[in-house]
Amino acid sequence: MPQSILMRWFCRLYLVMLYAYPREFRLQFGGEMQQLFRDRCRQMTRTPGRWHWLRFAMQSAADWVSTMFQERMAAVRDITVQDCANKTFQVVRTVWSAGRKTQPRGFVSEWAMTLIVFLFATTTLVQAYVVPTGSMEGTVMIGDHMLVDRVTYSNPGSWGSHLLPYRDVQRGDIVCFHYPEDIRQIYVKRVIGIPGDRIHMENKQVVRNGRHLRESYTQHIDPRLDPYRDNFPQAPGWGTTALGREMLANNVRDGELIVPPGRLFVMGDNRENSEDSRYWGLVPRDYVVGTPVLIYWSYDAPTADLTNWSLDHVVDVMAHFFTKTRWNRTLMVPRTQQAEVVQ
Amino acid sequence: MSKPPPPEELLPLTPPVFHILLALAEEERHGYGIMQDVAGQTNDALQLGPGTLYGCLKRMLAAGMVEESDVRPDPALDDERRRYYRMTALGHRVVRAEAQRLAGAVSAAKARRLFDRPRAGVTRGA
Repeated sequence: MPQSILMRWFCRLYLVMLYAYPREFRLQFGGEMQQLFRDRCRQMTRTPGRWHWLRFAMQSAADWVSTMFQERMAAVRDITVQDCANKTFQVVRTVWSAGRKTQPRGFVSEWAMTLIVFLFATTTLVQAYVVPTGSMEGTVMIGDHMLVDRVTYSNPGSWGSHLLPYRDVQRGDIVCFHYPEDIRQIYVKRVIGIPGDRIHMENKQVVRNGRHLRESYTQHIDPRLDPYRDNFPQAPGWGTTALGREMLANNVRDGELIVPPGRLFVMGDNRENSEDSRYWGLVPRDYVVGTPVLIYWSYDAPTADLTNWSLDHVVDVMAHFFTKTRWNRTLMVPRTQQAEVVQ
Repeated sequence: MSKPPPPEELLPLTPPVFHILLALAEEERHGYGIMQDVAGQTNDALQLGPGTLYGCLKRMLAAGMVEESDVRPDPALDDERRRYYRMTALGHRVVRAEAQRLAGAVSAAKARRLFDRPRAGVTRGA
């Protein structure tokens, strides 16, 4: 059955790739394109030989890159009505189609395009990031290598916000951000409180703006009650940092934390084993890097190896790539989950 | 409804569009059916990827050359995501005009004896 596994992989990958197309186009044809791709894969499984899979993969990638550009440009043309934008588009299209009419774009130019897109994408749109600690265990595991979407939360100004899929941080979002106590480190947690929210905890349960939350995404590993950890912000004591104490001094009123403007209150899903806003305070909105969009590789390795690649780790990866890779998590899309309000 | 443009304005068609219209000339087909038929027409030389196929269909729908069909020929094999496409009267005129244009080009090529066995030395320089 190796071919059917390969096929499932291709289809999963293609589903992710569909997101490169403009939204309108995806909504209109996405389902059909996925279906067509699956049919095509099925047809491939009936053809003997091994190399045709590689050929098929390259054909599909080339198809994806070129049509993605075409549709994106068509979408831009539809939005902007100003003359100057039209002219820019025409110039781009002339250049684009000029190269195509005189000669069919060959193997090299197709892949050069892919590489350019890849470099552009990995530097400005997404960023690769590996999860080193278990504070989000259950949702995001140690050793998850993921791509972080840097566009969604970066306010591009009034003009760009119509072109880009921009939105502000919402409750329940998983975010990656610079750790306030040491901004060289990047942490990943879930947003519990946005500016204006009143937060406290009662016996491990979060109470937000007076309503108890039922959070399906959390994980509890320790049945004992810790007076501070599980009844935040009561009985402050052990484990808080300077910024944490500053938050407790300035932002707590009547036993509740009030999230000030421009800050976020975040917690790990692994509530009893998470150093989060309860201990080191609020995250400034500007420190947020983005939201994870895709776990592209999940590898079971200890924390130290993931932060510092040593020779041992390289050897370990080479020797155990197939056994230690968590295949069921690879190519997974982590999703924002909303907590239910109980009362 | 505005008047449809004369077919000549849409010529020449790109190869994918022309072959898609050829595929729909016989009967209504869904995306995979079109793709298979195009591959058959061209001896597997033109394999339409999903992006190319649906990009073309989008523009052809906008130009009024094809339309979606409600007919479900075989409910047993059917998937609700599959949509069938049918050629419109305009599409028919366009593909005929394109075929005539190509036939003209082919006869011009014949007149210049391009279909004969190539003579040595003709293709290089001279």
